[in-house]
Amino acid sequence: MIERAGHLPGLAAAEVAWLQLDFAAWGESVQVSMPVLTEEQARALAAHIRENARAYLKTLPVAQIVTTIDKAIARLLDRDDPWRRKAEAILPIVTGYDRETVRLGLSGYLRTFRAPQLQRFLAEDFVNPGILDVFQPAMKGGFSRAHGPELLLHIWAGNVPGLSLWSLISGLLVKAGTVGKVASGEPLLAGWFSQILAEIDPKLGECLAIVWWKGGDTESDEVWLNEADTIVAYGGNEALAAIRERVPVTTRFLPHGHKIGFGLVSRAALDTRKAGPLTRLVAHDVMRYEQQGCYSPQMLFVERGGKVSPREFAELVSGELARFARTHPRRALSVAEAAGVAAWRAAEEMRAFDGGGRAVLGDAGDPWSVVCVEASEALAPSGLNRTLKIVAVDSLDAVVPLVAPFRAFLQSAAVAAAPEELFRVAALLGEAGVTRICAFGRMTAPEAGWHNDGRFNLLDLVTITEIEQAAELAAEGFAAYVD
Amino acid sequence: MRAWRKAWLDVTEAQIIAALLGFIDRGEASEAAFEEMALAVFAYQFAHNQPYRRFAIQRGRTPLTVRRWRDIPAVPITAFKDLTLSCTPPEEAQAVFMTSGTTQGGIRGKSHHPTLAVWDRSMLVNFRNRFMQQRERIAMGILFPDEAALPNSSLAHYLALAKRECGTSDSAGFIGPDGLDIPRLIAALERAEASGEPYALLGASFSFVHLLDALAAAGRRFALPEGSRILDTGGFKGQSREMGADAFYDALSVALGVPRAACINMYGMTELSTQFYDDGNAIYPPVKSGPHWIRSRVVDPVTGHDLPEGATGVLLHHDLAHFNCVSAILTEDAGIIVEGGFKLLGRVDGADSKGCSLAVAAFLKAARG
Repeated sequence: MIERAGHLPGLAAAEVAWLQLDFAAWGESVQVSMPVLTEEQARALAAHIRENARAYLKTLPVAQIVTTIDKAIARLLDRDDPWRRKAEAILPIVTGYDRETVRLGLSGYLRTFRAPQLQRFLAEDFVNPGILDVFQPAMKGGFSRAHGPELLLHIWAGNVPGLSLWSLISGLLVKAGTVGKVASGEPLLAGWFSQILAEIDPKLGECLAIVWWKGGDTESDEVWLNEADTIVAYGGNEALAAIRERVPVTTRFLPHGHKIGFGLVSRAALDTRKAGPLTRLVAHDVMRYEQQGCYSPQMLFVERGGKVSPREFAELVSGELARFARTHPRRALSVAEAAGVAAWRAAEEMRAFDGGGRAVLGDAGDPWSVVCVEASEALAPSGLNRTLKIVAVDSLDAVVPLVAPFRAFLQSAAVAAAPEELFRVAALLGEAGVTRICAFGRMTAPEAGWHNDGRFNLLDLVTITEIEQAAELAAEGFAAYVD
Repeated sequence: MRAWRKAWLDVTEAQIIAALLGFIDRGEASEAAFEEMALAVFAYQFAHNQPYRRFAIQRGRTPLTVRRWRDIPAVPITAFKDLTLSCTPPEEAQAVFMTSGTTQGGIRGKSHHPTLAVWDRSMLVNFRNRFMQQRERIAMGILFPDEAALPNSSLAHYLALAKRECGTSDSAGFIGPDGLDIPRLIAALERAEASGEPYALLGASFSFVHLLDALAAAGRRFALPEGSRILDTGGFKGQSREMGADAFYDALSVALGVPRAACINMYGMTELSTQFYDDGNAIYPPVKSGPHWIRSRVVDPVTGHDLPEGATGVLLHHDLAHFNCVSAILTEDAGIIVEGGFKLLGRVDGADSKGCSLAVAAFLKAARG
């Protein structure tokens, strides 16, 4: 199977050089041709996107953009649509995630981009989304209008299917001419989505491009980082720092670094009736995307004093992970990933010898690992790929000092607690830097309109042009009808 | 058989040392002979090394259940940082070798040696065979600090032993308190070049980079006499600029006139008592191998199962000479089993995540600042 990545309006496929990447998983393989643009082609493409966005995308009412995106998403949600069938067939091979994970993950994720959700998304950031179309009266007097960047560059990372759509759609909603650089780990969905948009509205298809260049290709970096007005980048801090170093000082740079997700379980949730279903949700969050997402849990803090002890809770989670191992087998790990898992588990085993209070559950060869610790322990990454540490705590308040030192890495926390406690703990976690409190079972599926990393994802992209009240009043003096 | 093996539980340190020295001296060992010795050493370590015993029990592998040397539980190399893995009281050790602590936040892994008799025999028999190649002695230049400067360095001890037992009286070390003594080293190279007698340079890979840079700066090149050779080890560890292997050996061969085939890389670690060598680096990566008292496997790090020949996995070394600590060590090195040994493919220090979740390696880096 050969699949072509990218979306390059204005460039014929024959003019472009292609580099082949090979993927194999689940007994199948696929070859993906990645576009390799010359500096000249990249500059021409940037100009093409910029011009078309100026001439067309920026003239569209935001409601029409919402309608077009909605149509494209509907096609990807329709399991009989050829695009959807292609995604379900190829993404498991490219990313290594099992078919069910890809299928369920795609549907759950894409649902958050239908028209009502997109409207909610707009409303989250703009009191009056009409501000993206025409000048709107401002509360303080005068008028305001929001403009998206002329050329917005997305630099995506990772292999979680469709993660790219999040920022891609954000950019389109603010009418940005858009260029997205796909990650080698999942190079396809952004390009497919762009081609669907182009099928629905060919002129819109001219306003966005999906490109790729090899990591370390500083020439391509240079071209694109200089062409863009605004850059949204995902990746580890080292990669982000390397990008930031080369971004012109006048360019807006919006980095999204890697994060550690975690969870808190109050004793209110630890009775024998509630604990079982809860551990299934916990295991689900751990299993989904093999903890590769920033929102995935890597550590759990479980309160003592419930009918189910933290240790029993850990045993239950371990049992649920064993069940998921059969229904959703873990993706094949690279040597480095396997070594990471083994090293994490082995280190925990070693520390378990230093005295009681630490249990490593299951066998070393199991495709998951749960460690239960009685002493309080600060937040730290697990070995990923279905490895989880469960730390017993005397109260949920005790968790705050264990996570607070890692503010830069905080984002999602799942909380299982009664309403009053939920709000009290949420306030403390928010102060510590957590930006998203969610339910177990929903950790890997943020709701429509969420504020990724606590930021205003649309507002951060725009600039506001204001007509001050004085200008408006002064204009009256120059009107033809002035007395 | 069981009764016999049980007898090893009561074996004294002196007996196991005598058995190992004999084993090293026998010149070769069949699979069965290696297995027998390995099971004996495991029984000894299980009886006397408490943390290892607990580890083995946790893995469900005890001298009563293990029948094959491949089933002897391997300790991950990081364990040497967390645990004292010694069959004898650590304070009674004749030598304690420590890792440099460059890889994990300054925590140093330790290996205790109640005697260096086995370590030294292992090193010398193997070194003579693989590096000296029929020569009794050779003039040596050592590019590494001496034992007085680095008392806990297994490499300093290794090089001291090489110089004392296999070096001529002209041999010398060239690293002092101020680093590489370039003028003295250049003088030694000039003498060696003029003498017509083979010369050997041995040391840390990064010291060779410093030497290459110094020679380039001085515009000097040497053509060392035929039979001269180079032994580098340990990689660059941030102590010098990084060089690709091909560039490194090409540069050595140009600057010193030693062909790449005579540039031997030693692969050793503090957590072992035996070293591996290749037969020159004419082609990279070369095949590495060790003597009959160490065997290497390539395993899936999660299951610990052997991978088929040709598959990339993590190297696991089983070194009988490392009798006082643990003989079976799961490394953090990627490798591949090939005919005659294995190829070393670099470190696997845990992958970065494929998504946007923070992975251990990046976290440690951030924590160190």
